[in-house]
Order: sequence, then C-alpha cells, then structure tokens
Amino acid sequence: MKLSRVSAYFSLHARSYLRSRSALFFQIAFPIILILLFGAIFSGSSYSPSTLVIQNESPSTVSWGVVDAINSSGLFKVQLIPQNENLSNYITTNSVQAALLIPSNFTSNLYSGGLGFVVLKGHTNPTVATADYETLNGILTQINFRASNTTQKLVLSSQVAIGNTGKTIDYYVPGLIGFTVLSTMFNMVYTVPNYRRERLFRQLSFSGLTKSEWITANMLFSFLMLVLSDVILVAIGIYAFGASLTLNAETILTSALIIFGGLFFFTSVGILAGLVSDNEETVSVVGNLVMFPMMFLSGVFFPLTFAPAYLVTISKFLPLTYFINSLISVLDYGNISTVAIQIVWLLLGSAILFAIAVKLFSWKQK
Amino acid sequence: MPETVIDVSNLVKSYSDLRAVDGISFSIKRGEVFSLLGPNGAGKTTTVEILEGVRNRTSGDVRVLNEDPEKSRTLTFKLGILPQDFSFIYNSTPKEALTFYKHTLRASGDIQEILEMVELGDKATTPFQKLSGGQKQKLGLALSLVNDPEVLFLDEPTSGLDPRARRNIWNVIKTLKERGKSILLTTHYLEEAELLADRVAIMNKGKIIDSGTPMEIVERHHEDDNLIIRGDGQVERDLAAGGFQFQRDGSYIKLRLKNIRDATSIINYLSEHKTKFEDFTLKRESLEDVFIRMVGEIEEDETE
Ligand SMILES: Nc1ncnc2c1ncn2[C@@H]1O[C@H](COP(=O)(O)OP(=O)(O)OP(=O)(O)O)[C@@H](O)[C@H]1O
Ligand SMILES: [Mg+2]
Repeated sequence: MKLSRVSAYFSLHARSYLRSRSALFFQIAFPIILILLFGAIFSGSSYSPSTLVIQNESPSTVSWGVVDAINSSGLFKVQLIPQNENLSNYITTNSVQAALLIPSNFTSNLYSGGLGFVVLKGHTNPTVATADYETLNGILTQINFRASNTTQKLVLSSQVAIGNTGKTIDYYVPGLIGFTVLSTMFNMVYTVPNYRRERLFRQLSFSGLTKSEWITANMLFSFLMLVLSDVILVAIGIYAFGASLTLNAETILTSALIIFGGLFFFTSVGILAGLVSDNEETVSVVGNLVMFPMMFLSGVFFPLTFAPAYLVTISKFLPLTYFINSLISVLDYGNISTVAIQIVWLLLGSAILFAIAVKLFSWKQK
Repeated sequence: MPETVIDVSNLVKSYSDLRAVDGISFSIKRGEVFSLLGPNGAGKTTTVEILEGVRNRTSGDVRVLNEDPEKSRTLTFKLGILPQDFSFIYNSTPKEALTFYKHTLRASGDIQEILEMVELGDKATTPFQKLSGGQKQKLGLALSLVNDPEVLFLDEPTSGLDPRARRNIWNVIKTLKERGKSILLTTHYLEEAELLADRVAIMNKGKIIDSGTPMEIVERHHEDDNLIIRGDGQVERDLAAGGFQFQRDGSYIKLRLKNIRDATSIINYLSEHKTKFEDFTLKRESLEDVFIRMVGEIEEDETE
C-alpha cells in the first residue's frame, strides 16, 4: 500500500465524482430533500393525553406505587386490567393505544438490586407512541429521582422504536444517516461491475495502483462525503426542526465510529454484490435486491411500528437495522454503553466481510 | 548485439477447450518494432495481455525485460500499454488522467507536451465521455507514454482513427523508435506494419504461421508478379501469336511473370510488332495480398 498512489487516485476520483451531478444528488441533495420532507410532514404532530392500560403482573408495594404515581400525574387516564387477561389479545380487541406491562419479575429484580423493567406496548401511531413514551419516561424518572436514596432503578423499555423526546425528527436523523451510509453500498454495486465491463481496473493497474489502494481511496472519499452529508443532516434536524440530539464529544466520536464501521460493512457488501453481477441487467437486479429490503425494512423511512410481525423478524436479520438502532441509542439517548457490544460486532463483522471482499475482488482476467 | 527485451517460448493460453494461443515463440530486441498480424480472434490480444501481466498464461515461458510479467510487481513502471479496447473513467479529463499516471508512476514528463504529441492539446479539460472515439484512442496512447517507457505494447493503436490522425500516430511511433524504444504493435492495417515494423509475425488460430521482415514474408509467399497491359483485341492477338499466356480482365490484360525481368522481353516483343497499347504496369504483391492468401489458405485447408 503506497499512500502517494492512494492520494493520487483519491484526487482523480474526487474530481470525477464532483463533476457527476447524479452522484452529488444522491449523496448530498437527496438526503437533504428527505429530511426536509419528513421534517415538514411530522412537524405538526402534537400530543394529547391518552388512556393507559396497565397490567400489573408483579403486585407489590413498589409496583402499585408506580401505578399510583402514573395515575396521580394526571397525564394518563389509567385503566387497570386483571392479571389473568391476555394483554396482547386485549390490546387488539379493544384497539388500545398504549398499555403498560409490569412484568412478573419486576419486584424481585428490584429487590435483588437489579433494574425494574416495565414495557410499553400496543402503539399504532408513532407520533402518539413517542409522546406516550416520553411522558411515561418522565414520570418514571421522577419516581427514580425521589427514590434516589436507594439503589432501585426503574427502567422503561418500549416495544416501539421511537426517540426519547417525542419528536419524530429525532428518529429520522439517525435513519437518514443510515440511508447515506447505505448509498456507499449502492455506489459499489454499480461501480464494480461497470469498471470491470469497461476494463477500468486493468487500465488503473497499469499505473501500479493495487485493488487495496483503489478501495482505500474510495472509502476515504466516501467517508468524507458521509461526514459532510451527515453533518448537514444533523444541522438541518436541529436548526430547522428542533431535533434534540445528544451531541457531545463521546456521542459524536461514537457515531463517527459507527458510520466508519458501516462504511466498511456496506462497501464490502457492495463489492461482493458487484462481483456477482456481470452484466447490466443483473447489476440492477442485484442492486435492487440488496438495496430495497434494507432501505424499507431497516426503518430508514418509517419505524416498523406499523409492520406485521414477520417483517419485524426480517428486519432483525438486516445489518442496517442494528446500524440505525445503534445510532438512535447514541444520538437520541446519549446511551453508548448499551450499544458498545453492537459496535464491536459491527466493526468485527465489517473487518471479516471486508477481508473476504478484498480477497474475492480480483483485478486480473482469468 | 542488442539485448532481447521480450522473449516468448512455447506460450500457450487455453480458455476451457479453446487454445487461444497455441505454443508460440518469438523474441524482440531492444529498439525493434515488432508487429503481430492476424485475423480477428487469432490470439494477438491474448498474447499481448500475457506479456503485460494482465492475463495469466496456461504454460510456456515469458520474459519481459528479464522479468516474469505474471510475478513482477515493478514491471508496470517500465512498460507503456495501450490496450485494444481502451476506456477511462467517464468523468475524468485527459489532463487529470495523465496527472494521475504521472504521480503514480513517478514520471517527470510534461503533460501538455504529451497531449500535443498525440494532438489532444485542445481537449485537455474535456471529460472522457465527451471525446470522440479517435480522441479517446489518442488519450490511451498518451497514457502509455507518460512514464517514458522502455517497452511499449500498442494493441491496434490506429483503429478508429481518420487517415490523417493515423499518419500522425505513425509519426509518433517512428519518433519512439528513433528514441530506441522497443514496440510490440498489433494492427489490422498491413501497410502500417509494412511501414513501421522491423519484423512481423503472422498469427492464425493461436499459432505463428510465419515471421520475418515484411520483405522476407512477401518474398517467401508472393505469387508470380504480374504485368498488366491496357489495350485492345490486337494486343491479345499479337500476344497469342507470340505464345504468351494471358488473361483478359476488363480493359486489362494480365500476364503472370515467373521472373520480373520477363516483363522487358514482353514489352520489347510488342514494340517490335508495332502493337499499340495504352500503358502498362508491373504489379508485385503487397504484404496484404500475401497475408490474405496465407490466412485464407489455412481456412480452406480446414474446411476440406
Ligand atoms: N476471456 C476470454 N474467455 C474466453 N475466450 C476468450 C477470452 N478472451 C479471448 N477469448 C478467445 O480467444 C481467442 C483469441 O482472442 P484475442 O482477443 O486474443 O484475438 P485477437 O487476435 O486480438 O483478435 P482481434 O483482431 O479481433 O482483436 C478468440 O477466439 C476469443 O474468442
Ligand atoms: Mg485483439
């Protein structure tokens, strides 16, 4: 690997890229249009108090105390349902907007010094869900605060993937960052077969450039473009739509790390997908096959709240889901520790996949 | 004696059951222009690409500047390569392309000068996709010159060029030859090979069927020379009376000559008989005539 060659190719690539209107459009303009669109659509949504169904499977002084606190906040109309009722059925038959489950291990967990989880279920509308989530979280935080002399902690977990502030835009910023990273894959899926067909790799090899240098220069450039477009996205999210993201040195660095891992991951997937498609038709088939499921099922454009269970299951197999969820945790919740493992996996998986892609990616003719 | 820069012996390249190159041997000396000729699919490009290190061979021995192109990592820096189907990043300009090669190959040549040499001076900042076919080809040639290489591989450098541009490329190749470069040139233009090449090899179906200087090849394979006389029936009658064999071909009368000097006696004979004829020409076969027959004969042999 020669840095001088990497930088020479970087410069060649950057110039041709910046001359290409369509590339610039998809890298920079398209995400901006999307965030403006989403921001505008969801900016009017507001919150109105709703009924909260509560099922307490762990009756105890503490758990009833929590129910009382929620009730007395006046922010929800609390409606209790018996322990033996099937909560999921109840939610469907009565079209319940929000239901809180205090699971059977809640009390014992707390007494053994652990965390007491409660689960929010049953939303069909992401905006309302966000608001409910936020309100409940607020109440629980207060309870936690009052009980701060003890080691007990109440934690609300939600089965809807929504940001913690009640603004939908908070959710879309990480989602669209995911989209920008995904576009690097898109680039590769098209570039690799195209360069092979035009025999540009052969032509580039006459310059002494190696495939690793080619990939490195490409990724460096992509990373710069990602940073640029993602900074713009975050800025628009914050200044135009009042997104409340947790931005500090740690979350920014962690996000950059996640994006970097994602870049490796999706570049590798792109190269591999590009290698299997050897003519123009297969390029678009493979491209769409890889691109669209990820785009729509990973929650880039909408949370999977609306989706049937089997789609949610599929989404669990899509790497982009974890990528976006990690970003949501870090940027929306400022929560780095719980995604640390995911980030390690992302980087590890990317490294392995990258090695495979580089190995299989041959510049020579057979 | 000049050193050998390219040495090929018993080179074989198979694609599944096709032997695209079938045991060929040749060598090129420093400063020599060597031309590979042959019909489409003869195996020229395959041979050249093996020498460039772009393709791996099936068997045989190949040395370029005393290195094995399949293994060497440094050979690229000493070679200039214009591939047959040259293409480049469609949004890059000739200037950017040359700058890139100049940096990576650590060359010192002047970019504008090279562009002028191939007549691309005024297209330095035009994106590749907006160049004409011939201009693209010229960029390919320019890129092969950036590192002032010792050995050049030019695979059909003039295909797609207009006659004037072709002559310009010929001049570039002549200049390179004067500077002592060794050049492996493939072409479909036989007059190009005749003009530029010190030696040629004629390939067909993966084999070299003959090689030598263009003169030698013509000498070896040309059929009898022809004397062509333009004239009327009287000329025919007089020639018949003199016992000469001839063929009528439109307004021409064609006589095959065993020896080119026989032409003198025929013309003398006609003058002595005061036979009137309009004019005459002596026709010797060109490399192209010989080439077409050599390649054609093989085709016919196979269909028998
Ligand atoms: N990648 C490949 N896979 C299979 N067969 C190939 C491949 N490349 C070339 N061939 C075959 O090898 C033979 C020689 O091809 P090559 O390109 O060397 O011919 P050529 O002499 O350069 O012809 P042309 O004058 O048309 O350029 C042809 O029959 C061709 O079909
Ligand atoms: Mg060829």
